[in-house]
Amino acid sequence: MKEQLTFDKGRPETTRGIRAHDASNTLQLSARQWLALAALAVVLGMAVPALWPRLEQLSFAADYRMPFELSNDYWLYERCTRAATAQSDVLVVGDSVVWGQYVKREQTLTHYLNERAGRERFANLGLDGAHPAALAGLVEHFASGLRGKTILLECNLLWMSSPQHDLQEQKEFDFNHPALVPQFYPHIPCYRADVSTRLGNVVDRNSAFNAWTRHVQQVYFGRSTIPEWTLEHPYANPLQAITLTLPATGGKLRHKAEPWTQQGIAPQDFPWVALDYSFQWRSFRRAVDILQRRENRVIVLLAPFNEHMLTAGSRERFAQLKAGVIASLRGDHIACIAPALLPSEAYADASHPLACGYKQLADELFASNVLGTAEPGR
Amino acid sequence: MLFHTWIFFFFFAVVYAVYLPLRKHNKAMNLWLMLASYFFYGWWNPYYLLLLFGTSAIDFWMVLLMERSQTRRAKKAWLVTSLVSNFGFLGFFKYAYFFTDNLNALFKHLGTTFLLPDPVTYPNAMLHALGLPDSSLFVHVLLPIGISFHTFQSMSYTIDAYRGTVETERSFVRFLCFVSFFPQLVAGPIERARNLLPQLQRAPQITRADVTEGLSHFLVGFFKKVALADYLALYVDKVYGAPDTAGAPALILATVAFGWQIYFDFSGYTDMARGLAMMMGFRLMLNFNNPYAATGLGDFWARWHISLSTWFKDYVYFPLGGNRHGKWLTYRNMLLTMVLSGVWHGAAWTFVIWGALHAIGRVVTRELEEAPWYRDRVPKLAKQLGVFAFVSFAWIFFRAPTLPDAWTIVTRICTAGWTDPQFPLLMGVLILSVWIYQLAFADEARLRNVLALAPVRFGLAAAMLAYIAVIAQRGSQAFIYFQF
Repeated sequence: MKEQLTFDKGRPETTRGIRAHDASNTLQLSARQWLALAALAVVLGMAVPALWPRLEQLSFAADYRMPFELSNDYWLYERCTRAATAQSDVLVVGDSVVWGQYVKREQTLTHYLNERAGRERFANLGLDGAHPAALAGLVEHFASGLRGKTILLECNLLWMSSPQHDLQEQKEFDFNHPALVPQFYPHIPCYRADVSTRLGNVVDRNSAFNAWTRHVQQVYFGRSTIPEWTLEHPYANPLQAITLTLPATGGKLRHKAEPWTQQGIAPQDFPWVALDYSFQWRSFRRAVDILQRRENRVIVLLAPFNEHMLTAGSRERFAQLKAGVIASLRGDHIACIAPALLPSEAYADASHPLACGYKQLADELFASNVLGTAEPGR
Repeated sequence: MLFHTWIFFFFFAVVYAVYLPLRKHNKAMNLWLMLASYFFYGWWNPYYLLLLFGTSAIDFWMVLLMERSQTRRAKKAWLVTSLVSNFGFLGFFKYAYFFTDNLNALFKHLGTTFLLPDPVTYPNAMLHALGLPDSSLFVHVLLPIGISFHTFQSMSYTIDAYRGTVETERSFVRFLCFVSFFPQLVAGPIERARNLLPQLQRAPQITRADVTEGLSHFLVGFFKKVALADYLALYVDKVYGAPDTAGAPALILATVAFGWQIYFDFSGYTDMARGLAMMMGFRLMLNFNNPYAATGLGDFWARWHISLSTWFKDYVYFPLGGNRHGKWLTYRNMLLTMVLSGVWHGAAWTFVIWGALHAIGRVVTRELEEAPWYRDRVPKLAKQLGVFAFVSFAWIFFRAPTLPDAWTIVTRICTAGWTDPQFPLLMGVLILSVWIYQLAFADEARLRNVLALAPVRFGLAAAMLAYIAVIAQRGSQAFIYFQF
């Protein structure tokens, strides 16, 4: 038994007769092997995410939208942007208003736009919960495929309806897509993740491999990690769970499709954040800048907010904000469409239209020339 | 700041980049390492730095005073002052609630109306006396991370200085650096001054082998923690979180899983600590040596948390008389040492029982090893499995949150039905693989030669890296031993 401690010559204290790596079972690699391992890691880290789409088919067919349960799968979003760029002329980017929170996939804005166009001209690149700060991160890191196209970029003023939605409150707030927002600067007071998590997010969104591993976990392991999944499926083989088949594209209704008036929602007195002080607005402008730098033609679609459910004072403040947004965009020569207010019964809540609302919106958009003359690069 | 988090990678990258040129200038090197270590420790809670600095400063000055003492008695007085202050801080921060709760329960039982106040009232009274407002008062006494580790490390210096087995350190900064050296500050190995201080006195030489060996240690430790310990924790937490509803197989498997979890967690930390130190040109002592390959409880403690067991051996067991005064006194000394070792881990009766169980185990296996039939006829593997079973049983008391919980688990293992344990197959495969790997490495078996082949090592390292990258959990769990 080798339990006596001693001082080895040159090596201060170790266990007599036991080489350190034997005792701790450490796998010893030489410098050359470490370099080879690093090279292998780099090659595989780049090759696997690049080759994976060949194994896992993405059918970006008519009315495709990201499966709702994969709303945090940014790697899949990136793939969608590439597929959409290859197949469609106009890519509609935005939050759940574009995605179609209260409607089926064949009732979305893009569906009705395509119906009017008579062909697959518009692609749905909406992502649930993508507020402008997240949207800017999304287009910056996970939409590099959006290049040289016409982008119909939805601007939902709901995100500026209060200091909380504008991410300006000091109190911690659990908002959507924290991994996409600026992690260090500009400072978001209600975002309280620790430094390590923030650094991890920065690394993740700059590493295709990390995004791919999250994709695999989300698609095949129920959005949990593989170890957590094995706890739920103790006798299953994790490899067999990787079926290489993406889930359906969100054909089901997420919520009951009924007008807001039937849901018992009371009139809202949103305070609204002044444009000059709005973090979400600055973020939205950043998203526009990023897309323009990639030689896209960006047309901002000001989502028709449900003004019917606002109090008189709130409606007045909203009108000022909306006018400010339009003036700001036009002042910078950014094309902007501000559709008319939809009928009250066409809204499911503050910002989401129902199917009839989308249809009416599509009609109005199509009637305007701005989409018809859209060409990339301007 | 945990080793397996991004913040640590950035921290280490900066510290290492500055350290490399500075290491040739001893004063600057020690100052830099001390500052880095204080930053590392203060990351959890900067108030803890006061305690770390305070205990270090007292020990440093006590040893200087010892050196200037003319008489043995005066020297002893300074040693006692150091020990009292160290145990005072440790006692207050770690054991105050334990003693208060138990004494109050005793007072109630005796029918007295006297009750000890909440320990937090003592520092609050001082703050009040200083005229601070109520808003600045403490609500609860928080246990500083790794207090037992750095206190014991610092104390070993004063005891060794008193015994004359270590030279007096004259540089305050170097001493602060010795106590707070960040790779091993919060969970060991508990270094001895005679090992680490001389290394801090010279310019560390860093060879290519140091870097590659250090990286190898770090990778293995990282894998142990992130891929194995954190994975096992999922099952252990699930079963131990609701022992009333778990069947006997689940409780047995969770107990075995915890045995491996704590090993991977703690030895993983040690591997990372030793790897980091190695990359910086320092050698930290070995802390684990295949403990589950032990054939007796004495053997187990020579392999498990070696830096702590040797600390207790040198500073408790030997001063008590060791094995020099006959069998019964030897066993008494073992019992005291092991119970104290249990209490070192935590302020709860479960740890006392855990320590006592190990003491009994040591006595029994020592007796058995003296019997020829056991020593010569019982196969080694049977002894190893026997030790593992006993150690696993003792882990129940270590892991269970309370004594009644531990008792529930023990009784349900014997009485609950044999229901499907829902133990993940992948977890079982991982444990078995590592177990076989360890046994193969521990013995001079033929498999060991295969494991030593360069392509096999490379393949295993690549597999570990891939597992960490693809499968290992997101997020980070603190190391179990941080709480001690």
